[in-house]
Amino acid sequence: MKTSQNTHVLKPNHKNMWKQLKRDKLLYLLLAPAVISVLFFQYLPLPGLLIAFKEYDIFLGFNSPWVGLANIYNIFNLPMFQKAIFNTIKVSVLSLSICFPAPIIFALLLNELKNGLFKRTVQTISYLPHFLSWISVVGMVYSFYSKYGLANDILISIFGPNTTRELFLTKQALFIPNIIVLDVWKSLGWSSIIYLAALSSVDLSLYEAAYIDGAGKFKQMLHVTLPSIAPTIIIMLLFRLSSIFQSNFELIYGLQNSFIDYEVISTIVYKYGITRGEYSMATAFGFMEGAVSLILVIIVNKISKKVMQTSIL
Amino acid sequence: MKDNSNSYKIFKIINIILMLFVVGIMLLPYLHVVAKAFNDSRDSMLGGISVIPRMPTLDNFKLIFRNSQLFQSIKVTLTVVVFATLYELFVQFLAAYSLRRKDLLGKKIILLFLMIPMFLKGGLIPTYMLYSKIGLLNNILVYLLPAAFSFYHMIIIRTYMDSTISISLEESARIDGANDWTILTRIVLPLCKPILATITLWLAVARWNDWTTTLYYVTDRKLFTLQYILMQLVKESEILSKMMESAVHTGANTAQLEKMSSITPDSLIAAQIVITTLPIILIYPFLQKYFVKGVMVGAVKE
Repeated sequence: MKTSQNTHVLKPNHKNMWKQLKRDKLLYLLLAPAVISVLFFQYLPLPGLLIAFKEYDIFLGFNSPWVGLANIYNIFNLPMFQKAIFNTIKVSVLSLSICFPAPIIFALLLNELKNGLFKRTVQTISYLPHFLSWISVVGMVYSFYSKYGLANDILISIFGPNTTRELFLTKQALFIPNIIVLDVWKSLGWSSIIYLAALSSVDLSLYEAAYIDGAGKFKQMLHVTLPSIAPTIIIMLLFRLSSIFQSNFELIYGLQNSFIDYEVISTIVYKYGITRGEYSMATAFGFMEGAVSLILVIIVNKISKKVMQTSIL
Repeated sequence: MKDNSNSYKIFKIINIILMLFVVGIMLLPYLHVVAKAFNDSRDSMLGGISVIPRMPTLDNFKLIFRNSQLFQSIKVTLTVVVFATLYELFVQFLAAYSLRRKDLLGKKIILLFLMIPMFLKGGLIPTYMLYSKIGLLNNILVYLLPAAFSFYHMIIIRTYMDSTISISLEESARIDGANDWTILTRIVLPLCKPILATITLWLAVARWNDWTTTLYYVTDRKLFTLQYILMQLVKESEILSKMMESAVHTGANTAQLEKMSSITPDSLIAAQIVITTLPIILIYPFLQKYFVKGVMVGAVKE
């Protein structure tokens, strides 16, 4: 942008400040809804975090007695909370190890399809689960795994008509695998979009060069494709790492039932905060999750600066 | 670049089979639910339904539509989707345009101000308390007002503006005497139609699928959304299966319970799922490219 030719740009100095404000007064007006909305609904709740450091009493409200770090201390010592933290991380890590590579592999395979129509059809269908709400998915899951649902029908057709029909959803051991499978199912197509975009921008002449050097398809993928999309992969990985402490409330709450005992941070915050009114503990718990997540984001950002010379912020 | 080795040929065939398998897995559960929705409810309980209804019927839908709450929730959901989407689009579009100006006074501060809430959040309870204090609980506005601004969406709109609307275009308009408002409405808005279509779709789908807002902040049945009703139905069936399981374990007679499960049988839930997902399924094939385009624009920024 050639500023010397741009008559509208003003150099920042004291005299020009008023000129700028006058010139841009419409822009500030246009920004107002966003700023006011964010101020009101995102910043205003923040003082509520102080509840985490108090012993909240409904009648005393904000004048409830200050207890300092006692609540936070309790969190790390009560088995229920410890378990929730552990479960959250466990699900996140397991989910990461499967849900992260899957779209990459899917994108690589999709890229090898020669028939354009087939490829586009597969893509379109693979995005579909992304647009269904988690609760619709849970509904389908209940139907699929119910005593007389499709899963049991398939079992019977494989193992014969005398197999007992299982109540899959009541089995604690299947809970986590189920979550991971659903996570992959829902996100596979949509997550692959970014990688497909990256794949389409790989320089074709690199493939030519590799072929001339005698590399077969597989070697080409290893030495040309993967290194070329590595930046994209790393950025996406860093994004995911920074949200390890967060949990998929919608899916887990939806799948919880009376046979399964599995809580994560977000479900505990909801259960204890809203349904049981234990505001102090729930706020403290939620605050801790937010604080740790923030630290993770900062760490991840610093790493990406060092590794990639780019930051995700 | 042609590699016709045998191993590659085999790979291509396996790849196609794999893709077909993926497509099947994506569609199967949904087709199964659709089949159940259109199948006689008692027949469904016998099992064996795959993707085609064995005893086709519209009874499940008839039963659901007799429930007046369904119509109320459809009304609520439609209202929310339409108004919230328009409002959010409005707020985000205007913000994106204003933040284009490179030498806007205070731009850095404003950007920081808008960006920080992405990382520093009050959390569920403080938000709940705020809404309680300002009377937003059990109020239709709780669906419409809070989520107005999304930094991510704003960046996408702005990136699109920057890459399609050249500065010289705006400059020549300014020389002709146009002010910011005229430029915004006469030049920028028409040119931004594609990205606005994308954002509109994203916002609408997000609003349509949202049920946690109801869960957290609404107890008044008149304000329940379609997704929330579905959630209630789905979770309710859990109670029944618990009773079944304990009956099985204590050796009690399950026949009575089997009869009770006709209260909200699978097929009714299936019909509800079909109704709740129908709009998305219908518009999706036609507007799919708009959904995807937005991701690309976002990817370029990265």
